[in-house]
Amino acid sequence: MIPALAHISDGSPRGRRNRRSLARRTADTIRHAVSEVLENDEIASGPELMQQLDPRIKLVSIVLFAVTASFAQSIWVLLAFVVATAGLAAASGISIGSFSRKVWASAGFFGLLLSLPAATAWISPGPVLVPLGPLSITSSGLLIAARLTTRVAAGAGFGMLVVWTTRWTDILQALTAMRMPDIVVATLAMTQQQIMSLLRTVENIHLARESRMLTSGTAKDNRLWVTERMAFIVKKSVKTADDVYDAMLARGFSGAMPSLVRLRAATRDWLWLAASVASCAALLGVDRVLMPR
Amino acid sequence: MSAQFVLSDIRHEYRAGVCTLADINLTIEAGEHVALVGANGSGKSTLLKMLDGLVFPSAGTATALGHNLTEDALEDPAFRREFRSQVGFVFQEADVQLFCATAFDELAFGPLQLGLAENEVRSRVIEVSRQLRIEKLLERPPYTLSGGEKKRVAIASVLTMQPQVLLLDEPTNALDPRSQVWLLDVLEEWRVAGRTVVISTHDLSAAEETCQRMVVLSEEHRIVADGTPSEVLAQHELLLEVNLLHEHAHRHRGSTHEHPHGHGHLHPRP
Repeated sequence: MIPALAHISDGSPRGRRNRRSLARRTADTIRHAVSEVLENDEIASGPELMQQLDPRIKLVSIVLFAVTASFAQSIWVLLAFVVATAGLAAASGISIGSFSRKVWASAGFFGLLLSLPAATAWISPGPVLVPLGPLSITSSGLLIAARLTTRVAAGAGFGMLVVWTTRWTDILQALTAMRMPDIVVATLAMTQQQIMSLLRTVENIHLARESRMLTSGTAKDNRLWVTERMAFIVKKSVKTADDVYDAMLARGFSGAMPSLVRLRAATRDWLWLAASVASCAALLGVDRVLMPR
Repeated sequence: MSAQFVLSDIRHEYRAGVCTLADINLTIEAGEHVALVGANGSGKSTLLKMLDGLVFPSAGTATALGHNLTEDALEDPAFRREFRSQVGFVFQEADVQLFCATAFDELAFGPLQLGLAENEVRSRVIEVSRQLRIEKLLERPPYTLSGGEKKRVAIASVLTMQPQVLLLDEPTNALDPRSQVWLLDVLEEWRVAGRTVVISTHDLSAAEETCQRMVVLSEEHRIVADGTPSEVLAQHELLLEVNLLHEHAHRHRGSTHEHPHGHGHLHPRP
C-alpha cells in the first residue's frame, strides 16, 4: 500500500501541461527564480551605460523620471517615457525582447486590466467607438485607459531598470550613503541572504519528495503537504534567524552596523543627473503645450 | 601555560528537563589544540557555544580569560570587546555566519564592531583575503558562493578579528578534500603560532590530525574520556559505546571478519 503522502498531483486533469508533478514544477520554478537573481547580478555587473552610474545618482534620476511620468498627461509624452525606458535598457545591455516580455507584457496587462472600466461609457461618457450598451468603449475613455496603461508601463520600466542595472549590494550601499539607518540596510542584506538560502531548502524539499513519488495523488494530499512544508519553513527560518543573531554576537555585534561604504560621484554621474533633470523639464514643457491645463 | 577556559560542574538544559550537558569539568590552557568528539546530539556544539558565551550554564560556573562568563559579564562593553576580540567562533553552517551584502563586508564586520580605524579594517581584510586566497570573492554576495568558498569566507570573517582562540564547529563538514587539506594547514599554522583551537567533530581522523588533546562526550552528554589522541583512540570499547565507532563486517577473499570503523575511515591501531 502506497502512503497517501507518496502520491502527488496538482489535482487537475492529466494532459501535456501536467506531465510534470507539482513538486517538480515548484522545484523548477524556484531554480528559475534563483538563476534569474544570479543572471540579474551578472547584467548589473556589466560595463554598460546605467551600470556605470553611481547608484545614488541613478536612484535619484530614475525616481525623477518616474515622478515626472506620473505628472504627464499627454499620451505622446507618456509614450516618449516608455520609449526612453527601452532606449536605456538597450544602452545597458538588456535585450529589448526580454525587457518587453518582463516589463511591458505584465505591466501593460495589469495596467489595462485596472484601467479598462475607465474606458467605458459608464465612467467616461463620449463618442462611442465600440457599442456594448452601458459598457461601450468611448474615445475619451480609451484615451484615459491608454494614458493609465502607458504610465504604469513607464513607471514599471524605470523601476526594472534600477533592479536590472544595479547590483543588490550597490543598492544597499546607496541606501547607506543616503542616510538610511544602518540596521535597516543590514536587515535588508540579511533578508536577501536568507531568502536565497531558504529558496534552496524549499527546492530540495520538493526534489526530495519528487524522488520518492510513485503515483499521482489527490489535490487534497498536495495541499496538506504544502501546508506542512510551509510550517516547517517558517520554523526553520525562525531557527536560522536565531543562529544568525548568535553569529553576529560572536563577532562583537552590539546594535550598530558601521560600514566602510564611501561612494563618490564622478563628473559623468553629475552630467547624467543634469541631463535627466533637463529631459524631464523638457518633457513636462511639451506636456503642458500638448495638454494645456 | 595559563587556563583560558575553566568549566566547573556544568549542567545545561535546553528547556526544563531536557539536558544537553551534564557534569562537565573542563580546563583548556592557552595554546592547546583540543578536539571535542562525540556522536550527533552529544552536546559538542552546545559546549562550544558555551565557550563562546552564546549559551550559558543552567548550573555550574564557566570562566574565560579570567572572568566569569555570564550574560551580565558580557553586557559590560569593555569585557565584551576584550572577549569578542580574543575568541572567534566558526559556525557549522556557513550560511548563518554570512549575513552581510558581500564577502568584503563579512570580513570587515568583526573589525568594525571592535571599533578599529577604517585603514586598519581595510588592511586586515586585504591581508586575510590574501592568506586564504579569496581576493576574487570579496565583491560577491555570499549566496553566489559554493559551499567551500562560503566556509573560507566564514573562517576569514573570524580571522580578521585576530582572535587568540578559535572555536570551530564541525569544520570539515561539507568541505571537499582540497578544502579539508587547506583547513588542516590553517590549523597547523595556528598551532605553530601558539594560538588556542577547540574544534567539535565526529571525524576522528580530523581530530587526530589537528589536535593534541581529545575530549570525548557520551550520548548522555558527559565527558567520558580526556587525553591524547593515541590514548583516546586506543579505547575501542569506549568509542563503540559512545557511538563514534561501529562494528563493520565485510568479506575478504571468501572469509568474513569484523573490525571497528569510524568517520574518516579510522582503522584500529596495531
